Amino acid sequence: MKKYSINKKITIITICVIAFSGLFLFSCKESQKVAAKGGTQLWAENCQRCHNTPSPNTFSDEDWKTVGMHMQTRALLTNTERDKIVEFLQNINH
Amino acid sequence: MKTFKTSLKFIAFSFLCFTGITNTFAQDTLGNNASNPVGNLTNRTESKVGESHFMIVGLTTFGFVQQVTTNTYGGIKTKDNTNSITDADRFEFSPMFLWRHGDNMLLEFEPSFDGTSLGVNWADVSYFIAPGLIARGGYLVLPFGIYNKRLAAGWINKLASDPIGMDLPGSDFGVELEGGLPLGSMKWSYDVALSNGFQLNHDGTIQGVGATAIQNGKTVSGRVALLPLCNSSLEIGLSGLYGSLATPVGAIDSFKNPLVSMYAVDLDLIKYVGPLQFNIKGQYNISSISKQNYLDTGMNYYNFTNTTNAGFGQLSIRPALSNNKYLKNLEFAYRYVTYTSPSGSTWGQNYTESDFGIDYWLSWRTVVKCTYENVNFNNTSAAFSSSLPLGTSTINRFIIQFSTEF
Repeated sequence: MKKYSINKKITIITICVIAFSGLFLFSCKESQKVAAKGGTQLWAENCQRCHNTPSPNTFSDEDWKTVGMHMQTRALLTNTERDKIVEFLQNINH
Repeated sequence: MKTFKTSLKFIAFSFLCFTGITNTFAQDTLGNNASNPVGNLTNRTESKVGESHFMIVGLTTFGFVQQVTTNTYGGIKTKDNTNSITDADRFEFSPMFLWRHGDNMLLEFEPSFDGTSLGVNWADVSYFIAPGLIARGGYLVLPFGIYNKRLAAGWINKLASDPIGMDLPGSDFGVELEGGLPLGSMKWSYDVALSNGFQLNHDGTIQGVGATAIQNGKTVSGRVALLPLCNSSLEIGLSGLYGSLATPVGAIDSFKNPLVSMYAVDLDLIKYVGPLQFNIKGQYNISSISKQNYLDTGMNYYNFTNTTNAGFGQLSIRPALSNNKYLKNLEFAYRYVTYTSPSGSTWGQNYTESDFGIDYWLSWRTVVKCTYENVNFNNTSAAFSSSLPLGTSTINRFIIQFSTEF
């Protein structure tokens, strides 16, 4: 019974490792449709997943960079999404 | 168990490898500049401008609560009417300190005063190692479900109170790896942490143990999420937590290698229909602790199946694209909450809650909420002791709340 339990755990861990490895491998590329998105669209799509879309005038250019990093850790944005959103907010932050 | 320990070692080893690689590259860069010390100095001076940045943001929430509690036990009905300004259960003042150093390091610290005590929500340092890979260490919000990490802030929550049962696992000391990655037209994210874990209390509840665990067992928690639609409007997450539990100081010897396992599924959907924005959120948690013998106040052993289920489903509708400048700031919300704690314990109950809310957004981050909550629960505790009112209780609660992010 104990041996069966250990085998079961090893199987589950193996499946998880393979699944994770597969996800990482296929995560190398985004589709053209997604890659073509600009910062405005990404700002509208991603912020509202949790809260209202922020006004670009809320923070300075430097602060948006900091906020962008903070929000990436919370919403788990991709690097491209974060960079494009921050660039958009900085560009119209005047 | 041995396999589990091996897994922990593997995770720890992977984490050390990642940080080691990063340090190696950092030193290579410094080494290339060593032949030109003046140039190196100039570069360092120039590159420092605007790289280090400190800012304070945060949130505050306060309001008024009117509550009527009706209890029925043994055919006798009692009624209690209370009200409170800046209600202690829903008051919060939490400044958040963010310090960014360069493009790769972020330190976050959020102390919080909740009306009765001053605590810390999180205090951690994040290092952005590579696209899709962030390492974090310190006192962090554990990756489990969607509510604690993203939706609990007063200015984000559409209703005035938090759904019961979503507070665990909360924050803990540990290390974490996380990231978001593209997957063709889809997106996925992962978040995994190794932390000190919980303590099993004498009554079978669990709580965080802080910086020093009494035993050496640790806890692994994680969440994997998929955003299958290319506009990121739908997110489905699966979470798990597994670990051994510490035993309290002066622990009774009836606890034998206590283990905790938790699972959760969560969902987040945004959909526009005409001018209306529909927002659906939900999470369901199952928490189990391995079978133990507990001691009652008379020093007699008793046991129960220590499984707790908690969940909520929420729908909010806002005419966000309306041309009327007042109407588009209104939001209507409904939430159903269910919570079942172990019958036969001293804290057993079957609990349901229906919440209705009307919110008015003064700005994108400032809201006034009017919430009505109808709570029903019946006590399923052990006959000898209960921390809850016996019988069946109903609470009708009205809350006016102001919340802002600053």
